[in-house]
Formats: sequence, C-alpha cells, structure tokens
Amino acid sequence: AAVRLCRGRALLSRVRGAPRLLRGLAAGPEMHFGFQSVTEEERREKIYQVFENVAKKYDVMNDSMTLGIHRVWKDILVHKMNPSPGTLLLDVAGGTGDIAFRFINYVRSVRERQLQRKLKHHQNLSWQEIFENYQEDKFSTLGDSQVVVCDINREMLKVGKQKAQHLGYSEGLSWVLGNAEELPFDDDKFDVYTIAFGIRNVTRIDLALQEAYRVLKPGGRFLCLEFSHVSNPLLSRLYDLYSFQVIPVLGEVIAGDWKSYQYLVESIRQFPPQEELKAMIEDAGFFKVDYENLNFGIVAIHSGFKL
Amino acid sequence: VRCQRYPPLRALQASAVLRRVSDEHKKEPFTSSSQQQFDPHPAGHQPEQEPQGPHPSYTGQGGQESEDYESEEQLQRRILTAALEFVPEHGWTAEAIAEGAKTLGLSVAAAGMFHSDGSDLILHFVSECNAKLSELLEKEQKLVQLGEAEKKPTDEFLRDAVEARLRMLIPYIEKWPQALSILLLPRNIPSSLSLLTSMIDDIWHYAGDQSTDFNWYTRRAVLTGIYNTTELVMLQDSSPDFEDTWRFLENRVADAMNMSNTASQVQSTGEAVVQGLMGAAVTVSNAETSRALR
Repeated sequence: AAVRLCRGRALLSRVRGAPRLLRGLAAGPEMHFGFQSVTEEERREKIYQVFENVAKKYDVMNDSMTLGIHRVWKDILVHKMNPSPGTLLLDVAGGTGDIAFRFINYVRSVRERQLQRKLKHHQNLSWQEIFENYQEDKFSTLGDSQVVVCDINREMLKVGKQKAQHLGYSEGLSWVLGNAEELPFDDDKFDVYTIAFGIRNVTRIDLALQEAYRVLKPGGRFLCLEFSHVSNPLLSRLYDLYSFQVIPVLGEVIAGDWKSYQYLVESIRQFPPQEELKAMIEDAGFFKVDYENLNFGIVAIHSGFKL
Repeated sequence: VRCQRYPPLRALQASAVLRRVSDEHKKEPFTSSSQQQFDPHPAGHQPEQEPQGPHPSYTGQGGQESEDYESEEQLQRRILTAALEFVPEHGWTAEAIAEGAKTLGLSVAAAGMFHSDGSDLILHFVSECNAKLSELLEKEQKLVQLGEAEKKPTDEFLRDAVEARLRMLIPYIEKWPQALSILLLPRNIPSSLSLLTSMIDDIWHYAGDQSTDFNWYTRRAVLTGIYNTTELVMLQDSSPDFEDTWRFLENRVADAMNMSNTASQVQSTGEAVVQGLMGAAVTVSNAETSRALR
C-alpha cells in the first residue's frame, strides 16, 4: 500500500514538473528528494548525508543490489570510451574510484599492446637498442594518461583513496573535492568527462552539464552512466517490484540504513528518461548526443561531444 | 557561481570547433547533396564530396543546423582526411583517427565519434578514391568531347581506369590487407559493397556503356571480378612499380574481351547447329512422307 501511494505521488510530481526547463530552475522551492518535495538547499544537505552514511558500505551494497552486474556496466562504459594513452579523464561523482581504476587498467593494457607492436617491428635490433627502447621516458606504462576523481562528499573520497592504496593504484590518479555544479577546474582541460551513477544526485543537472561542457577540450567527450527508464511493461513491473520490495530491505540488513536505499530507489524513478536527458545534454551545447540502453533501459549510457 | 549564457538556438551557438563554411572553399553542401542523392551521374559533381553524398544528420538536430557553420559530417570528414596520414604507422585503427583529430587541434576523445574498428576511416578513404577516379574520367571525357584526345578502345579504357584506381592504394599498400579484412566484416559489407558497385558502374558509364538488357549485369560482374582479382594480386606484388600487376590486369581484360567474342560465337554456332538439326528433321520428315506416298 505504501508503494502504491508513493507511485501516485510520483505521477503527480512528474505531471507538475513537466517542462524540462522548470525542473532545473527551481529558485529555492519545490525540488524532489526521492518522492518527497524539498527546497534546493535541503536537497543538497540530505543527499550529502545519504552518501556520508552509505560511504563505507557503498561497494558492498552495489554488488548485492545489482547482483554484481554494476561491474559489467562500468566495464562497458570504459570500453565505449576506448581511451588511448595520453587521455586526461575527469571522473565526477567518482567517489570510490570504480571508473578511475578501470580507466587505468584499460590504458595500461593498450600501452602494453603498443609496446609489443613496436618491438615486433624491430626484429633485428641489437640488445643495446632494445634496452634503450625500454628506457625511453615516453614509454611509461600509462603514457601520460591521468584521471582526476572529483566528488562532493569527503567520506566517499576517503573510501576511494583507501581502496586505491589497497589495490595498488598510485600513478596518474588524483582526488579532488568539488561540486559538479561548480567545478574547480579551468576551461578546456579534459579529454573525457564521465559521471557514473552520480548525475541523479546533482541538484541542478543543467548546471552540471554546462560545467562539463566548460571543462572539456574541443573534441572532448561527455559520458554519463545512469539508471534510466524501462519501457518494456512486463520488465518494468518486475523491476519496480524488485526495487521497492527488495532493495530497501537489503539496505537495512547489510548497511543498517533503510531510508538511504529508499531514497535511492525513489530517485531513480524521479530521474528524467533517456530522451529527456538527451535533450538536456544537447541544450548544454554538446553535439552527436546519443544513448545506449543496457539491460533494456535499467541503465543507459549517454554520450556527447564538444564540437 | 560562474554564469554562462547559452543561447537557446543551437544554430547561433558559437561552436568550439565547427567553423564557418565561408572559411572553407567548399560550396554549400545542402543544395548539392540533395541533387547527388537522386542523380547517380551528376555532370560536374564536386571532387571533395563522396559519390554517395553527405548523409542527413540523424542526431535529431537536423532542422536547426545553421548554414553558416560546417555540419558535424563535414567535421568528421576533415578528421578522417587528417587521419589518413597516420595510417602507414598505426594502421586503419581508432589510434590513427585519434592522431588525426590531434592535428586538427581536437582532443583524442573525438575518435569516439567513429566506430572503434576503423571501418569509418577505410570507407571514407574508399569513397574519396572513387570520387577522384570519377573526376579523372570526367576530365578525360571532356578532352575527347573537345576533340583534343582520341577515344580509347574499350579494353584500353578499362585497363587505364582500373590501373588509375589501384594506384591510389600504393601509399597505403602495407596496411591494405588489414583494410580489406575489416571491409569484409558482416557489419561493413553493405557499405563496402555499395561503394564497389558504384565505382564499377561509374567506370562503365564513362566507357560508354548504354546497355539496357542483361549485358548491363554481365559487364559489371565481369569488371568487378577483374578489379577484385587485380587488387589481390597487387597486395603481394613485389615487382618494381607493380609491373606484374598491370600485366595481369592486361591479360584479364583481354580474356574478358575474348569471352564476349566467344559468347557471340557460341551463340551463332548454337544457332547454326539448331538450324542444321531443323533442316535434318525437315529432310527426314520429307523423306518419310515421300516414302509413304510411294
């Protein structure tokens, strides 16, 4: 019964907030926090608290809620990015570093393949020349690629840094505290901007998109991985059932926090569907905007270029 | 808070990279493209345009594209053209495209606009070569029309056209086998096949073929076979300036000419045989009738 009530309210708020522009331009009043309606400031605070609470159990909960499939989604995102060595990546809302670590792994393996190919061409080198090839500074294992992980939440960054240390990632990685709506970076700096499962929690999505446009180099790419709208009706019902009945329970059992996971599930329902997000990205100035549905729309990857 | 104003109309937006078309020496792409889509042999089509014409934009911004700024397709073509010079080093890969984008001042991430197997680069190169070939044949035709050159016999014309087209592969010949294998992937076959058939069609058109019967198909099939086999021979030819390849080409074209003669000979022989049989049958039946009457 509680679920049905919530869904009714969700429909109402969706009808009220129909014009896309209005949704982002709330001057103080009516914003959504899950299915509740709060002010902008309240929303930012509440979201900060949510992530402060879940930070330590974030990865465990991700695995149990999505049955490990979130790893595949993140792999697909990095494969779609297909970064070449020398790429500068900005991972916003990248808290615990999942995308950053995958990026580093990918670039490392591309670099190794490049090195192998280079050596294959030099079949008749003397040992001296081969030695010199290995010594070349420009053949570093990462090839000057770098990733900057930016997150608004100190706790999430703390967990991320600990993970990096634990897994042995040190080179080419930096951690910055910052707000996606107002990034502490100069214009035209980054090759790729990613935001994985973070844009849903941004209060002013249009500002975040504008900031993304600003910090990207010309030709740079914007990639957004986020929960989205399932159009298949049967799957949608199963998904709703799972979301509202199972996930908050898991939250209580594993992390001792029902409300944060109730917020999570509600925020997914409140988030604009694929086409709407695509239009918002185009409004920010990106070209060749497209999206790819994963798992029938449970998750979608949006991509745009600053041309 | 940094205040940035983004005007609502995308057409007016000062794009970071797409530059004014007036800066380039190309004509307005939109008017000529619609012509190209329906007219397979335009009288004087632009050398830089692919024979297929620029595709309509599918990103949903179509109606708003300003005619002052270059379109995304034009930018993509510029990137691919710039990427060609990196092909001998990196092969037909996304890396070459990334290097090409870098030379234009774009981020390496711009290579993400294209498919990761490098097929976009190859298809772009093939269509550019086809366009160059058409331009060449057009020029030759003009010279013949003006009376400044002799009209070549068909076999020589075909030989020269195929040789000219294959010579365009020479700078990339090391990596061409890789390109062919990518073009044969099921995903790419429709596009590569259509580029091939339009090129062959072009050559026959300029050779003066105006057939409207089954010959149309036979001629194109034969020339496609000649072109493909010569291309394969060229890939493993190590003679100076590919002499062996051109000799092979000469022989194949001669074979094709003989075959058409043989075909008509076979037809007339067949007709003669049939007539002979008919005659024999009539004679036999006359003989039977006269025997019956006796």
